[in-house]
Amino acid sequence: MRPRKFLVAAVGMAAALIATACGTGGNTPAAAETGPLTIWLMNGSAPQSVIDGVNTDFKAKHPNVTVNVEIQQWGDVGTKLDTAFAGSTPPDVMELGNTLVAKYAAAGALQDITSKKAGYENSSTWLQSLTDSCTLGGKLYCVPYYAGSRAVIYRTDQFTAAGVQPPDSLDGLLTVGKKLMAANSSDPNYSALYFPGKYWYAALPFIWDAGGDIATNSGGKWQGSLNSTSSQQGLTTLNTLVTSLSKADKTGDEAKQDAAFAQGHIGMIIANGWEVGVILDPKAGDPTLKDKLGVFPIPSHVAGQTAPVFLGGSDLGIAAKSKNKTLANEWVGMLEGQKHMSEMATTGGVIPNTTSLLSLGTGLNATFYAAAKNSRFVPNSPNWASVENANTIPDMLVSIFTGKATIADATKAASDKITTTLNGS
Amino acid sequence: MASGSEIFREAGFEMGTAIRPGATATRPTPSPEPALPRPPAGVNRVRVSLLPYALITPAAAVILGVLAFPLGMLVWLSFQHYGLRQLIAHQGDWVGLNNYATLLADPTFQHVVLVSLLFTVANVGLTLVLSTLIALLLLKVSTPVRVLLGSGLVFVWATPVIVAIDVWQWMFDYEFGVVNYLLTQLRFGDFIHHNWFEHPLQGFGVITVVVVWGAIPFVAITLFAALTQVPQDILEAAEVDGADPWQIFWRVTAPLLRPIFLIVTSLSTIWDFQVFNQVYVLLNARPSQDYFTIAVYSYRESFGVTQYGLGAAIAVVMVLVLVVVTFFYVRQTLETADLELAR
Repeated sequence: MRPRKFLVAAVGMAAALIATACGTGGNTPAAAETGPLTIWLMNGSAPQSVIDGVNTDFKAKHPNVTVNVEIQQWGDVGTKLDTAFAGSTPPDVMELGNTLVAKYAAAGALQDITSKKAGYENSSTWLQSLTDSCTLGGKLYCVPYYAGSRAVIYRTDQFTAAGVQPPDSLDGLLTVGKKLMAANSSDPNYSALYFPGKYWYAALPFIWDAGGDIATNSGGKWQGSLNSTSSQQGLTTLNTLVTSLSKADKTGDEAKQDAAFAQGHIGMIIANGWEVGVILDPKAGDPTLKDKLGVFPIPSHVAGQTAPVFLGGSDLGIAAKSKNKTLANEWVGMLEGQKHMSEMATTGGVIPNTTSLLSLGTGLNATFYAAAKNSRFVPNSPNWASVENANTIPDMLVSIFTGKATIADATKAASDKITTTLNGS
Repeated sequence: MASGSEIFREAGFEMGTAIRPGATATRPTPSPEPALPRPPAGVNRVRVSLLPYALITPAAAVILGVLAFPLGMLVWLSFQHYGLRQLIAHQGDWVGLNNYATLLADPTFQHVVLVSLLFTVANVGLTLVLSTLIALLLLKVSTPVRVLLGSGLVFVWATPVIVAIDVWQWMFDYEFGVVNYLLTQLRFGDFIHHNWFEHPLQGFGVITVVVVWGAIPFVAITLFAALTQVPQDILEAAEVDGADPWQIFWRVTAPLLRPIFLIVTSLSTIWDFQVFNQVYVLLNARPSQDYFTIAVYSYRESFGVTQYGLGAAIAVVMVLVLVVVTFFYVRQTLETADLELAR
């Protein structure tokens, strides 16, 4: 069940009004920081054992400081963050999706931590793309937390039964998918590749692989390019795959895909490394699938190569209005440092924030780690979050998959909108 | 919702007036003298005339606080550029009527207003027709059946809207929905994996079902209550004069219920024009642009793309439209009161 945004709307509306009414809150100097420290982490990021470990270490140094770690849901986080940052006492530390940082940094919501960078463990080997997402105008506004890149999770037993191997090209993916469909033709619910219509993170590799992009920047001006010939070609390929291989809801999103995969009737999904854990979870998934899962990278149209994937991930920001900046920095430093980051990688299944720990990716994880090496990012603009929150790309995909608009029309409309939004003030 | 019984009472009074044969045609000239006795002149008069104001002060203060102040803030906000930076700084940039100019030039906004209007007309129409039929049915059935039907209506009314939407969402689910299953079993065609939200017209159909379903109880019970006040002798007189049931309804009952119809129509219009939850929750908080009603659009501009000023301007437009509808509602209420005084 998805989180319910309207409640947040009501609260947000009230908060906005109160915020406007009560004037500027204090930026009191951090003379004696006593906490309590409030930390917002996202659902599914750090395993509880990591959070407990960090808090234990922190408590040992600061026995009198209370730390409240609150877990937020992705679905409504944009609205929640806006209202939290607007208040006079926002959480001290916030986990921010890497596509959202630019928006908050540009608005002055995050503390400039450029001078503190050297103090963070492993900061010289941080993943470059995560560091980039934290950087605006040459200044550092957050600490890289972890990354995630997508690959194809598949059912080895179904592949064996249909007599197919993981494909090494996009054509191969279609062929393998069709064979799977044929082998399971008695099951009307079967999807060889389960692809919900709004799953735009998984659509980007197809666009990039064909040579397209979301938008290009020249001389500080953004130009949407989803309607370029290359982008359209990538979407045509994807449309064929979805039409032939997927029975997933063409207007739905990927929130339920792991649960659906665990129920069977699905051959492949495009997913993050940590989603393996959800599939095998005794409550949400099916632990008996443990030996029936395989992973291969999203193939390129060039045989033997892989498609560039979207590098998702999270960063840790410290609120500019925080009254406990020093403590907050210390807590962040513990979570992002060697000790706890190693555990994030091994038990959390995410890609750690430093290249020095990339060797931890073994087994199924190795494929996800490898995928991150050929990764791309969305336009790094303060306005990107608005493109995301306006659902521009998901809406375009839904129009294409449902046949409501031609690829040419749908991409043109989306691209124009992205151009306008990115160049807006 | 206390207004239901109040409306009913007002309607009852009004009907008492209207049903006198020829009451509207040859209404006696109202006597100019006021109905209420005047207090004697002098000190007393001042005290008495102050009392009502003292009595309404608490209510007025609450209304000012919870309604006038936020509304004023909304209007104030709609004249500003209010993005995230402004939100964090608690200081907007004054742009005058720019937000309104943007809206007028925005084809999406025009589309959204059109969609909202059509949606409102369809929903209010369906609500009224179905509610009237149910109210007439309630009048004819035996007491046990009436109790059963009435309880059913009250249950629907008592269901929290979010719970109701979740249930409807499951019923129309793409993969596991009972609606698809039943339609297929009943041989209406192959509805396995039928996506009700793929095409906006069908999607709005589902939304309409949910909205109308939720709106019927109040309107039906109100109309039923009004119908019970229609005196039997007039209906019998009409029947003796040879009118068929259809004629009786249109020539006798409907005119008598006109004030009630006006009031429930105004209220339904107000509710349906600002529909939000049924769209937003039913579509998993990520409705595509096809499904934007004016309230959803305002929310998306404010909280989705962080243009609080523009979002506020949309909300102001919505309020203005609703003010027009409210005008009819208030006028009808006042007229009813006038008739009552004139009696």
